[in-house]
Amino acid sequence: MEPIAMLFAWMLLIVFLALIACMFEDLESDTGSQSNPNSQVQLAPQVGQVHRFFNKAISGEAPAYAMYCTIAGVIAWVLLSKGVHPIMAIPIGTIVGEVVHVIFATTAHLGRTTAQKRFEQPIYLDVLYGHLLPIATHGFMATLCITAIAYIQSNLGTLSGLPELNHPFALPMLAFIWGITVGAIGSSTGDIHYGTEREFQDRPFGEGKRVVYHGKITRYAECGIRTQKDIVGFCVKYGGPCTGLTFGLIILFENWRTLVGMIAGNYLPDLQATAGNMAATIGIVLGLMIGIALTVGNVVIVRWARKRYGPFVGE
Amino acid sequence: MTVTPAVEEEEEKKPTGGFPPDETRLGIISAVIAVIITILLPVLPAVIKAVGVIFTLLWGADSVRKTSKYGLGTGVPSIGVLAMGYGIVGAILGTAFASKTGYAAGALGGVLIMGGVGYLSGVMSNSEKFIGMKIPGLERGMMELGLAGSLAMLLQFSIVAGSLNFDVVMDKAISTGIIALLFILSCMAMFHPYNACLGPDERRPRTLMLSVEISGLLCAILGIILVVTAGSMWEVADGVSLVIFGALVWLVFYVKFVKAAMREAYSVVGTGLIKTIE
Repeated sequence: MEPIAMLFAWMLLIVFLALIACMFEDLESDTGSQSNPNSQVQLAPQVGQVHRFFNKAISGEAPAYAMYCTIAGVIAWVLLSKGVHPIMAIPIGTIVGEVVHVIFATTAHLGRTTAQKRFEQPIYLDVLYGHLLPIATHGFMATLCITAIAYIQSNLGTLSGLPELNHPFALPMLAFIWGITVGAIGSSTGDIHYGTEREFQDRPFGEGKRVVYHGKITRYAECGIRTQKDIVGFCVKYGGPCTGLTFGLIILFENWRTLVGMIAGNYLPDLQATAGNMAATIGIVLGLMIGIALTVGNVVIVRWARKRYGPFVGE
Repeated sequence: MTVTPAVEEEEEKKPTGGFPPDETRLGIISAVIAVIITILLPVLPAVIKAVGVIFTLLWGADSVRKTSKYGLGTGVPSIGVLAMGYGIVGAILGTAFASKTGYAAGALGGVLIMGGVGYLSGVMSNSEKFIGMKIPGLERGMMELGLAGSLAMLLQFSIVAGSLNFDVVMDKAISTGIIALLFILSCMAMFHPYNACLGPDERRPRTLMLSVEISGLLCAILGIILVVTAGSMWEVADGVSLVIFGALVWLVFYVKFVKAAMREAYSVVGTGLIKTIE
């Protein structure tokens, strides 16, 4: 097939993988309360609110995902260089990454809970065991997609018939970069459980919260004692897909503008070095235009939402 | 509603012998081991270098703990990342010095420069004229972070590439992207211990066990990488022994940590309801 069509096809595949990856990343961070509600889980016992949450404090999400994805990428890279087929190498690498993830999750939960000894926070073994598998499975989906993206990108040229277009970075480096990106986006987007203060939605925008309410978010659900599984169920409807969409759109716009710039600047399909500058300029201008359009769209939506929903009046 | 009263700061007891040694001793031991292994004997098998990596990362983790203790618990990861930032710059400088001068000991230049830069940034952060953070011991902490980070990175370069020659390191550790793994796992070995054990009942020996555990994992993964990059005279034996060594270290310290945490927790229960407040 024509290289340009192939390039667009691979780009769309990467976008789809990114969507899945970031959706599962967000839900995984909810399972381990790494982003949602993170500080409250740490604070709750200190104000007397003993809870049954999993306290997965593996630094911020960005370095944590960088680690899982880099390990997965390195193992996949080792296997690929020994001639293993990618369809085996990428999942095996991901499994190794997830084993490390689970190891870090147990040490983080045990360490943080033990350090809350004087606040009478016990270690609930069912909480410990019951959350490890959801963490591993959600994390597996996210890491698998990121490793696959890194593999496709580092071999993009070979896969689409123009070997010169291979990414200059090696697979582990790309996995590292995309891992940091997916973690950063998952940590900043889609935390609809805590980010919008689920139980304080009747407060005006930006109002602070009294200290006695701290940690309440970790205590009771609609029915029974709240655990992270309730939060995942709550977030899977909008929060997760919204986060996935964010990352997917970033990758889509980024790759689309580069490819369109290359075509409009006559760099593709002949790869003339003289057309490189023109292609880059068109790509950058397109990127700026997309950025401006997104900013304007955001302002309009926020204005509309504040006017439409505003502060809640009356208790 | 009962709110637990504010906790008074307790003076930390000085460790008396055994594991882990106190800060100064730990620093000296790690630095000496690392310097001997990296600089004087670069032909050693990877397992011996791995011992140096474990010690330097332990030193780094202790410095991160010491530096972050005065904060509110946020920013622990940033300190670890900062240390490895120093580390990568220092190690690359060190290999460049070593190749330029022709002496392996030239690599120490990079380490010393990063120690100086760390000390300078500590002084600048604490000084009234600049940022004025007034954190006790920040100067020493930052200097140690620079030294430990650079030494750990140098040792890992020499494990992966088999030598400290700049071109070989570039070829085998940097352009293959392995440096990303070295960076992130060393960061984790430095900041994850304190980050994961954060809280009023944190205890130094328990925290530092975690650093050794993560270094073990790092060594095991480095062993797998050696299958591809092996360049030293020890060939396959290097990778295999490193994997076995790393896995053993990991297992021993993981079990030790889990047992210690379970023993020292308020209580360990199979399941149960939460304490009612109202």
